[in-house]
Amino acid sequence: MYLGLDVGGTHTDAVLIDNNKIVASFKAPTDHKNLLTSINRALAEVTKSVDRSAIKRINLSTTLSTNAIVENKTEKVGVIISGGPGIDPESFRLGDFFYVIPGSIDHRGTLIKDLESAGVKAALEECAGKNVRVYSLVTKFSTRNPGEEEYLAEKVGDQADFVSLGHRLSGQLNFPRRVGTAYFNSAVWRLYNQFCDAINESLKELGIDTQVNVLKADGGTMPLSLSRELPVETILSGPAASIMGIISLCDITDDSIILDIGGTTTDIAIFASGAPLVERQGISFASVPTLVRSLLARSIGIGGDSRISVQSGKVTVGPMREGPSMAEGGPVITLVDALNYNGTISYGNTAASKKGVDEAAKKAGMKADVLVKASIEFAVGFITDQVNAMLAEINDKPVYTIHEMLENRAIVPEKVYLMGGPAQGFARYLHASFNKEVIIPREYAVANAIGAALAKPTFQVELFADTSKGQLIIPNLNIREKVAGDYTVEQAEDEARSYLVDYCKRMGIQSSVKDIEIIESSSFKMVQGYFSTGRDIRVKCQIKPGVEGGIA
Amino acid sequence: MIKAKNRMGLIFFPAYDWAIDPSHPEREERLLYTQDQLWEEGIFDIEGIHEFKPDIATEEDVMRTHFCFPDVRTVTTESHMISAGGAIKAARIVMDGEVDKAFALVRPPGHHAMKSVHGNRGFCNINNEAIMVEYIREKYGTKKIAIVDTDCHHGDGTQDVYWHDPNILYISIHQDGRTLYPGSGHVPELGGPCARGKTINIPLPPATSDEGFLYAIDNIVLPILADFKPELIINSAGQDNHYTDPITNMNFSAQGYAILNEKLNPDIAVLEGGYSIQGALPYVNLGIVLAMAGVDYSMVREPDYNYEALRQDRNISGYIEKVADAVLDAYRNPPKDKNAVKYGDYNVRKKQIYYDTDGIRESQIESVMACKKCPGVLHIESSSSANPLSFGIEIPFGACRSCRDEGLRVFRDAKDSRKYRTIHFINRFDKEYIRV
Ligand SMILES: [Zn+2]
Ligand SMILES: [Zn+2]
Repeated sequence: MYLGLDVGGTHTDAVLIDNNKIVASFKAPTDHKNLLTSINRALAEVTKSVDRSAIKRINLSTTLSTNAIVENKTEKVGVIISGGPGIDPESFRLGDFFYVIPGSIDHRGTLIKDLESAGVKAALEECAGKNVRVYSLVTKFSTRNPGEEEYLAEKVGDQADFVSLGHRLSGQLNFPRRVGTAYFNSAVWRLYNQFCDAINESLKELGIDTQVNVLKADGGTMPLSLSRELPVETILSGPAASIMGIISLCDITDDSIILDIGGTTTDIAIFASGAPLVERQGISFASVPTLVRSLLARSIGIGGDSRISVQSGKVTVGPMREGPSMAEGGPVITLVDALNYNGTISYGNTAASKKGVDEAAKKAGMKADVLVKASIEFAVGFITDQVNAMLAEINDKPVYTIHEMLENRAIVPEKVYLMGGPAQGFARYLHASFNKEVIIPREYAVANAIGAALAKPTFQVELFADTSKGQLIIPNLNIREKVAGDYTVEQAEDEARSYLVDYCKRMGIQSSVKDIEIIESSSFKMVQGYFSTGRDIRVKCQIKPGVEGGIA
Repeated sequence: MIKAKNRMGLIFFPAYDWAIDPSHPEREERLLYTQDQLWEEGIFDIEGIHEFKPDIATEEDVMRTHFCFPDVRTVTTESHMISAGGAIKAARIVMDGEVDKAFALVRPPGHHAMKSVHGNRGFCNINNEAIMVEYIREKYGTKKIAIVDTDCHHGDGTQDVYWHDPNILYISIHQDGRTLYPGSGHVPELGGPCARGKTINIPLPPATSDEGFLYAIDNIVLPILADFKPELIINSAGQDNHYTDPITNMNFSAQGYAILNEKLNPDIAVLEGGYSIQGALPYVNLGIVLAMAGVDYSMVREPDYNYEALRQDRNISGYIEKVADAVLDAYRNPPKDKNAVKYGDYNVRKKQIYYDTDGIRESQIESVMACKKCPGVLHIESSSSANPLSFGIEIPFGACRSCRDEGLRVFRDAKDSRKYRTIHFINRFDKEYIRV
């Protein structure tokens, strides 16, 4: 049995899946003041009538780190960075303990100028004085040469309970994002680890002794134990849970549009040949871009509880939400009320919806059915426009080779998969607007928990080799090796793969060989004058996102 | 998060799978380290900076601009069409108001490609800026455009394309042709008889530093631009003036390039040369992108930058001041073109052109109508070691009706003569581009 638990902004959902069948599910409002209470209750309820020892795995998607950051409940972090030439690093200031140290590494990973030790010392003294206990240490191009970040870690020493080193979080190039990622990672570290302790405690009390994973924004999981060092990876996993859910519920093979219509927002995702697309660099969070890998999803301000407004005869919907629909006792009419009114759905107190719409129409001096029609048209039109804009952007994604430029296949969705509370109400309107088949999976109400339950692990490594320097580096695995002058891209691909497999074994990440793929691979001859000096080899290897089995 | 003052579009197309040949400076990884630097700096996370995919130029886009012998396909590859398409995309997003400024960071370059094309010269086959300018004129009707070429080599191709066009001001700042390929670009080269002073050459001596370049911008380029009043400024942004460039002898820096860009304030920049791919391009390109976006670039420096070592010699400064006087004088009072020969209503010149990369020799007789009402119908009789006698006729952008009729007549006569293997006919009046 697989247990999936999604602690969302509104609801906490749990499901128990056995042999591709849902054997138990549970849904309750999330208690934001105490996430653990919500989780414990969901765990207890969903497992109350089963043999708890038969649970093979628990996958958990939680908003804990997300909320901590949004609500400013994070710990103070000593951010010590070094940029060298380029954009002024002051622009990336985060928190009250932010220090820029002179020094530089160039794009080849060559150390140009040592870090100024006096500056490091002064920064650390100040932090010690203010009892700063966690640190984020990041230098520009540290993914090419992590030496300076390691030097900083050595200097911090016992002064820290925890340090985040930029190069361990991602192999990608992007200094400002690396700073942001390392900052968040340290900022939520303590809180997240306390949470992990509490989860383990709860499971023990319930008599559940099994592997526990957490869901990441890229739709994959990682072991809870590993996430203790990488808590930043757990932010914004909610949309990924839903997307993985729809993959579990439907056999998606084509280009498709995924719409998750919630109360306040609609999440849009796009699939290419049945596979979800991934953000180019990473997720942006609290207006700070990060290197946290994420599925490509866009959230727009329209949902079932979006307010309907009329201004001089013009009907608009959202982006404001002022409480639930009138059907649920709310103060203003929303899309749900409009759908209730014309009988598309029958949700909650339909009489209240009718009364509310009639009154609003009267006030606006228009016929009620006209108001209802206009508001639904507005909402559906808005969603359609946003989906099309997102598609245009995806299809216009820059490429860097002539081959890709000529072979580039545009994504042309054939189906719309729809889920979320008010999904049923929108189906026929979206069908008309997109002129595509609209599919609503059964069990869509707990799709997110199903997605969490069945999500498989993901992981990514980036290998960078410079044969003229005779060096190979895989930053996030902390691997540095010598390579021979005749090292090839094929060897690099093999090595990236085997290091990834090896790491997964050690960390208890269960993955199968068929899910491991090389996603980027290049080899450039480096020329000095007219002589070749070596090769610049780059390989990206990943365990791709996916689900185990599905719901029959 | 940083916010750009100007909305800026970057068309980045490094063509990682294309090289002239494996050890040629114009090879696959030329922009690899630039990309590394731009990504590590998080350029695309700056609010207001967007990356765009290039268009692919069409055969018509090329035929509107060049006489290609024997045809477009023979003298170009996909890479050229994408590079020119990158420039077109830059123009489109600026002209459509999607962005305030755009930089086409594309390769291969184009500024050595002339009006008539038989092959590759100076790493260039077709002229990206000229194809872009003709696209702009045709689609948006823009009348006065200035191209400022800051590549270290004289842009003899762009000069050739616009030699007779009084509506396109072409200014080239470069290392003195007596010391560098292609050897041309001297002060007295001022444009054809009907476009005198609309071609401006500023040859600078080897070892010119930031100081000398910026002096030339402040004292020559900006005053001339202020006088010409273009609707659009285009920068052919070659980066081979850099002190680390392996094939030139100048002492310009990344900081200098960024300041130059800010002073010039171009609407569109298009990459040209620049072959110090590790030591210069990452920093120069970063500087240009930030300057165009209006983001602080004061901390952009090469790791090995040394002000003292690059300080400009006093003699050089004195020499550049003299060049400035000569150029300004030539712009204001251009002397008559002594080489112009008149046959009837036509000004005629003979040209020998060498395509260094492909080893082709071309002979041309170029004739242009001395018209008072328009740039004048133009035709080129051309033969080369690659192509037998061929012919190109252009009824120019903004042509008057009588030049249009004359162009049609010349085209008809050329066909009837059966003298030419290929005839190219550019008819900007009726937007017709024909090859027979
Ligand atoms: Zn050049
Ligand atoms: Zn005329």
